[in-house]
Amino acid sequence: MADEFEITDEMRAQFGVDGTPWTYEVTTTSVRMYARGIGSDDPIHYDVDFAKSQGFRSIVAPLGYIGTPVFLPGKNDPTFGFPRREGGPRLNIPFKGLLDGGTETEYLDVICAGDVLEETSHLADLKLRDGPRGKMLFVTNEAVYTDKATGKVVAKQKLTSIHM
Amino acid sequence: MADQMYFEDVKEGQELAPIKISPDKSQLVKFAAGSGDFNPLHFDEKFPMLKAMGLSDNIVHGRFKYAQVGRLVFAFAGYKGRVKKFGVNYRGMDMPNKEITVGGVVTAKRQEGGENLVDLDVWAQDVDGKKTTPGTATVALPSKG
Repeated sequence: MADEFEITDEMRAQFGVDGTPWTYEVTTTSVRMYARGIGSDDPIHYDVDFAKSQGFRSIVAPLGYIGTPVFLPGKNDPTFGFPRREGGPRLNIPFKGLLDGGTETEYLDVICAGDVLEETSHLADLKLRDGPRGKMLFVTNEAVYTDKATGKVVAKQKLTSIHM
Repeated sequence: MADQMYFEDVKEGQELAPIKISPDKSQLVKFAAGSGDFNPLHFDEKFPMLKAMGLSDNIVHGRFKYAQVGRLVFAFAGYKGRVKKFGVNYRGMDMPNKEITVGGVVTAKRQEGGENLVDLDVWAQDVDGKKTTPGTATVALPSKG
């Protein structure tokens, strides 16, 4: 079935259609856990008083943190953690393997603990290529993160996943 | 954190101080917990998809490497600088317990919209020197003036 997969006009019609917004709470605990996960010992990610002494609102989320999901049982993918939101694209991808293809983030502000962000996401691109083990589907999603307190867009992120 | 870098101090071709890491499975499990990505591809040696994908061992998360490039760029910007944009492509796989070197070089410096911007080529490379995770970044640096 995967070998017969083709990108259809029905799939392309889903480009740009936002799914239900998702709330991301940036907490001190989640920032510290992420910093530990990447092996950083920079106090700017752990010590609130130190971060404030450097002019930040609270500890600073490491680059790459944004997109770390808030997990709600039954509402997130149990393996990857991403939200299974209502609306948005439904592609019925037949491939079983999944790898990251690329990540690009534009920062319009520094993300700190205490921020509550609303994310909207949509399908931006689909590409089908031949790989060494058959067809590979490149799926690109674009997400926009808005600070719920100020209404200001603080980050935009483009994620490409490879299904094979 | 190294001393603050200022726009006037930066030169095209300048290399960033590299980061060398050899993440073990324990580190990848910590990253899974911190990032919420519990794909068994990264920690379960018996995960059936490994063989189906032609792999004999777990692989390092792409987003882990992205975060390492982020550490490099964040350190270059310093606390007074601001990272405006950075992105990478995942072109090759890296394996646990193998050294990964994260590096970067200044490709341009410019003033735009009242900001002192520095463009970078960045990457993570494996022990054979292959850039498995190449990308670019743009950083705004403070001025001495």
